[in-house]
Amino acid sequence: MTWQITSAVLGVALAATILFLVRRDHLHGPYAVWWLGVATATLVLGLFPSTVAWLGRATGIGYAPVLPIIIGLSLVLIRMLKLDVDRSKQERRLRRLTQKLAILEQEIERLGGRTAVESDASEDD
Amino acid sequence: MRTQRIDPSGIRPQNRRPLPPGCPVPPNPAPLRPADCLAVIPARDEAATVADVVAGVRASLGCEVLVVDDASRDDTSARARAAGASSLRLPLGLGAWGASQAGIRYAHRHGFAGVVTLDADGQHLPDTLPALFSAQAATGSNVVIGTCTGRLSRAKRLAWQYLRVLTGLRIADFTSGLRLYDGCAIAALAGPEASLLDYQDVGVLMLLSKRGLRIEEAPVRMMPRRTGHSRVFASWPVVAKYMLHTTVLCLAQIDAGRGHERRRAA
Repeated sequence: MTWQITSAVLGVALAATILFLVRRDHLHGPYAVWWLGVATATLVLGLFPSTVAWLGRATGIGYAPVLPIIIGLSLVLIRMLKLDVDRSKQERRLRRLTQKLAILEQEIERLGGRTAVESDASEDD
Repeated sequence: MRTQRIDPSGIRPQNRRPLPPGCPVPPNPAPLRPADCLAVIPARDEAATVADVVAGVRASLGCEVLVVDDASRDDTSARARAAGASSLRLPLGLGAWGASQAGIRYAHRHGFAGVVTLDADGQHLPDTLPALFSAQAATGSNVVIGTCTGRLSRAKRLAWQYLRVLTGLRIADFTSGLRLYDGCAIAALAGPEASLLDYQDVGVLMLLSKRGLRIEEAPVRMMPRRTGHSRVFASWPVVAKYMLHTTVLCLAQIDAGRGHERRRAA
């Protein structure tokens, strides 16, 4: 009986944390959808551990408890891959924005606008 | 510092329309005139040498000079402006290629016919720049790289041999920052595809080659670096990291350089 309580506590705690973060707007748009899915999964698996055994039978895996681990690890890997793809995209945008900012600043100056060159330097970092 | 007010309708008087990114490559690009080009000098903490380089380029080519200040902590920008160059000040350090690309995007935006890039540390001699233009006119190429093969160390020769095999590009010096790009090359390099490259060498050359642009080399004299050191050949771990990154890049783009050779043979 105790392992079922442990499983339920872990599942509910994880789901509650995620729901709390989503509600507080700490997770943005598409990330919220992903994490709500994870919350639902932990909630179901935590409250009804028998689903694991059922899944094991359904997929023909003899040692059912390994199933959530395999699925979980693959999902983590996919998630990390997606994270690096997103980071590359952001890096590209950041570099282009940096270049554009410098170009626009130069153009403003050329057109006779005042850019505070002196105060700018002290604002860095 | 106030700059004089100029007509806001066009920042440059001879504003031409920038070429679209996928511009068709003419079989024989027209010879570039130095006066229609922009000299781009990426510089990071090069206050000691940048003014001499700017003055040298202005004397040698008579074109507009743009120093791209890669988040320097010294007064590189101020000295470049005092020497008669315009300057872009990047708020974040983007590295040599990121700075050069900023200059290329500037040239694309303002419709310059070509871009010539050189280092700010004085190793590229401004009086060798006309040789790049004559090589471009003679060969009808889109890109001319100024190379000084006598300067290459044994390790570099070995590395470049490896890259030649891997990329299929027949280029003697991959990292030389002394280059002349025509309008098509500018249009290709100003785009977002070139923004994630970390070095101006293999990735940039493969992108150009993939677009079917002709790359030629011109032998030039170079000075040993007076200050600073190669960003690529700094220490063994850096070299190893560079070779690993470049190898992965080459394998991902394995068709790029070879397509170029096929097109040329056809």
